[in-house]
Amino acid sequence: MEIEELKTKIYAFCEAAKGKKKLKEKDIIKGLSEAEGIPGDEVKKALRAMIDVGKLMYSYGGGASSVEIPSEEYLREKGLIK
Amino acid sequence: MAGKKYNTPLIDDLEKGPWPSFVTEMKKAAKNNEMANDALGHLEKCYTTRKGYWKHGGIVGVLGYGGGVIGRYSEIGDEFPGVAHFHTVRINQPSGFFYTSKALKEICDIWDKYGSGLTNVHGSTGDLVLLGTKTEALEPIFAEYSSRGWDLGGSGSALRTPSCCVGPGRCEWTNYDTLDLTYNLTQEFQDELHRPTFSYKFKIKASGCACDCVAAIARADLSIIGTWKGPIKIDQKEVQNYAKTMDINAEVVGMCPTQCMSYDGKELQINNAECNRCMHCITRMTKALSPSGERGATLCMGSKAPIVVGSLLSWVIVPFIKLEAPYTELKDLIRKIWDWWDENGKPRERIGEVIEIKGMRSFLEAIGVAPQPQQIKEPRKDPFMFYTDADMVKFKAKEAEEKKTGKYNF
Amino acid sequence: MALPQRKTDVGPPHYKQFLPPIVQKNYGKWKYHEVINPTTMVHVAESGDKLWTVRVASPRILATDTIREQCDIAEKYCDGYLRYTTRNNVEFLVSDEKKLEPLKKELTAKGFKMGGIGYGITNVVHTQGWVHCHGACTDASGLVKAMMDELYEYFDSKRLPNKVRLAVACCVNMCGAVHCSDIAVVAVHTKVPEINHETFKNMCELPTVIGSCPTRAISPDPAKKSIKINEQKCMYCGNCFTVCPPISIKNPEYDGVAIVVGGKINSLRSNPKFSKLVIPYISNEPPRWPKAVAAIKHIVEVYAKNAKKNERVGEWIERIGWEKFFKLTGIEFTFQSIDDFTFMRDTMRTASTFKW
Ligand code: HEM
Ligand code: HEM
Ligand code: HEM
Ligand code: HEM
Ligand code: SF4
Ligand code: SF4
Ligand code: SF4
Ligand code: SF4
Repeated sequence: MEIEELKTKIYAFCEAAKGKKKLKEKDIIKGLSEAEGIPGDEVKKALRAMIDVGKLMYSYGGGASSVEIPSEEYLREKGLIK
Repeated sequence: MAGKKYNTPLIDDLEKGPWPSFVTEMKKAAKNNEMANDALGHLEKCYTTRKGYWKHGGIVGVLGYGGGVIGRYSEIGDEFPGVAHFHTVRINQPSGFFYTSKALKEICDIWDKYGSGLTNVHGSTGDLVLLGTKTEALEPIFAEYSSRGWDLGGSGSALRTPSCCVGPGRCEWTNYDTLDLTYNLTQEFQDELHRPTFSYKFKIKASGCACDCVAAIARADLSIIGTWKGPIKIDQKEVQNYAKTMDINAEVVGMCPTQCMSYDGKELQINNAECNRCMHCITRMTKALSPSGERGATLCMGSKAPIVVGSLLSWVIVPFIKLEAPYTELKDLIRKIWDWWDENGKPRERIGEVIEIKGMRSFLEAIGVAPQPQQIKEPRKDPFMFYTDADMVKFKAKEAEEKKTGKYNF
Repeated sequence: MALPQRKTDVGPPHYKQFLPPIVQKNYGKWKYHEVINPTTMVHVAESGDKLWTVRVASPRILATDTIREQCDIAEKYCDGYLRYTTRNNVEFLVSDEKKLEPLKKELTAKGFKMGGIGYGITNVVHTQGWVHCHGACTDASGLVKAMMDELYEYFDSKRLPNKVRLAVACCVNMCGAVHCSDIAVVAVHTKVPEINHETFKNMCELPTVIGSCPTRAISPDPAKKSIKINEQKCMYCGNCFTVCPPISIKNPEYDGVAIVVGGKINSLRSNPKFSKLVIPYISNEPPRWPKAVAAIKHIVEVYAKNAKKNERVGEWIERIGWEKFFKLTGIEFTFQSIDDFTFMRDTMRTASTFKW
């Protein structure tokens, strides 16, 4: 699968869980690698690339870390949107 | 900077007395820093009402990383705007906490520019902790420090900053190079440290001997404690020197837990086969006694504080491992440990708890460590145990072999 | 001004550049050391080189200006090298004995306090408290300051049968190896948390909150779309508050501190041990917590009078028996000292051989 297509799928996966379940990185890797039949390492690479540019972000709450879709406030703070 | 001057009678009282005062430190920083000044007023309010006002941590950090910054906001930020945001930045300390003044001053200069000027040297995990800054300063702070060779430490569900005792830097008792091991592991596992992928936190601490100066046994998921295999070397001349000022029978021989020493006023003897390497005699007579032979460490796992179901001390997992660069055996083992934890742990379960839930056998088999009596204080007391089919095949095969040879092999 | 280019995953700088030349030369080749007095020790290398260490107290919270003062002293006497200890003291290392006395003189003149080496009391491991943590039931820095002012003589001069390691944790999370200290203060809540049902709905995940409770005191309250807490089961650990902000557990009137004793980290003579609860509750009395401080000092004094040389607090108590400890200290024995959480099986007595 093309990396861009994979990224879109990852994003959709996170969007679907938004407000319902806090996803850990491994939930996303497992979820996509099972659904799409791609090696976990590839999903991880795509996921990291998204986090590095603020498409997704690491979050922390309730005593544990998770991966989320960034808020506008976060993107503004990082200078990624005006 | 002429900020608001707070009246702080309660905490002022803590400037009196011989012990160095943290209030004095806060005031020193407050002289030219608005955030530190508000932190003072904020703290006085806590002392007055006997209550804290910090909110739960928030979601702040630097782009790409999932840790290293602890979000901190005050409930009463309107009253004390300087601490409305008051985030902590963890800077990964150098092994053994050695510094040059040049490096430290540079750290201070950057911190004064972007933060409160208050620090913890060090936080309990080992990081150099910068206390109190605003969200918009985080990216600049990271750029300033990382471009000068300093990185953030760990937080959240990730590998936490490993730390170690002073070891070969200034201690005759170390059994391996604690500084190098800690540096090497920290570099090897940068990804696990900065990007939280674990069920929960994972701490590694390295002590060079059983004195355990970093309290590894009580506060690390992986506690690395130096030890040795050979006999204790004795310098009888130095023993005689100690005898001039010390009652060797009362203070050393009589306190040996295994009762494996004797002293007749002339010669000290140790039955090394019975010694459990507790370090007592060596610490009492360091000029006369020293370990010898093969050096390495015991790996223990699982310790944690009381939350959620009771404290644990680390359990012996690998009785002896040699620790020499590049530490391949240890690194492979750590990866296997994480894989098993990843498979079996639920969010917020420390590895010690997961081992309890899933059973020590499952864990040891997964990481490829054999059962050994050094791992336990005593064998199980109840007869409620599992037998796998493979176990039975093995037991039966052994008996069949015994029938052939006519010799029991328990 | 333009910011420098950020770099990721560089890790900490290599420690070697921070090691004083004498340490680099004798790295891993130390032969022995001697404690000269509570402020100074000397390490001797196989090469015959000597390295003196002067240890200086720290409140752990340091202003950058204080770090700079420490650096200035290191530049003047230690070729610009210095180090910190696990217990947050700062150490000045000199390889030239002639520099030792001038160094100490300057430290004294600048108001730095030297001590903490050998059989006495050194810096207190502690947590953030009201200075910086959300869950704190007390302030850690203030308690530490009050304790150490009172015990100061054991830091810089007076000696004890062995080291006495002190710690303060500002909630039962106990971030600082408090659970294995000779004497420690742990701050406690004593009242069941209150729930803001209005905000609960929006802010907390029901299963997470139920799962957070170690005593299974929390159950759903469907009518309110919230939870209820069984008062018979809750033991005020605050874990539910940690995962869900609308649950509030802070209570200025009833939050307080407990005292635990007899823990130890090293394996010398006996195995590492947890600290055990002896005083279940003392009210928070900022700024100086006089009763808690008096209790600690009292325990130190009873230990100093009764323990044999080299015995740590826990070893002394195990030799004489806990019943004797309560008798010697005059501390009242309460229900709270009987474990009814995870360790009851291991901690009840199963023989009639005790002391009166
Ligand atoms: C799950 C919710 C929790 C959150 C969001 C949280 C957050 C924090 C934060 C942000 C700090 C940093 C204080 C500072 O330096 O600014 C802190 C301090 C600390 N917390 Fe909590 N905490 C939580 C629960 C716990 C628990 C359950 C424990 C331990 C069992 C714990 C142990 C600590 C420790 C050890 C420190 C640092 C103390 C020091 O450096 O001296 N926290 N906590
Ligand atoms: C299940 C047990 C524990 C929990 C839930 C817990 C939780 C936490 C949390 C939430 C934090 C701060 C937030 C963060 O860094 O993301 C923290 C920090 C910390 N914890 Fe723990 N902790 C536990 C056990 C321990 C133990 C056993 C120790 C040591 C005896 C310890 C020492 C620390 C220290 C030293 C820090 C912060 C250090 C610093 O600020 O430099 N924790 N812990
Ligand atoms: C673990 C499994 C155990 C088994 C299979 C077991 C089995 C037995 C058997 C077969 C007897 C002999 C009955 C007789 O004389 O006819 C016995 C007696 C006894 N057992 Fe156990 N037992 C077990 C555990 C325990 C435990 C845990 C205790 C107490 C801590 C215990 C205490 C006793 C006592 C006091 C007697 C009577 C001895 C006497 O009358 O001289 N047993 N048990
Ligand atoms: C901790 C758990 C157990 C306890 C406390 C216990 C206790 C006892 C006791 C006290 C007896 C003696 C009864 C009597 O005097 O008539 C007994 C008998 C017996 N137990 Fe258990 N038992 C335990 C577990 C087991 C288990 C796991 C087994 C089987 C695997 C077992 C098998 C037997 C048998 C077969 C007898 C009868 C022995 C006879 O008649 O001579 N027990 N048990
Ligand atoms: S743990 Fe052992 S080797 Fe390390 S500094 Fe302490 S006494 Fe020395
Ligand atoms: S190390 Fe401990 S067990 Fe071994 S001889 Fe010395 S005192 Fe005895
Ligand atoms: S002991 Fe509790 S209150 Fe204190 S710093 Fe740790 S988590 Fe916060
Ligand atoms: S305070 Fe602790 S015991 Fe009480 S309800 Fe909350 S989690 Fe349960």
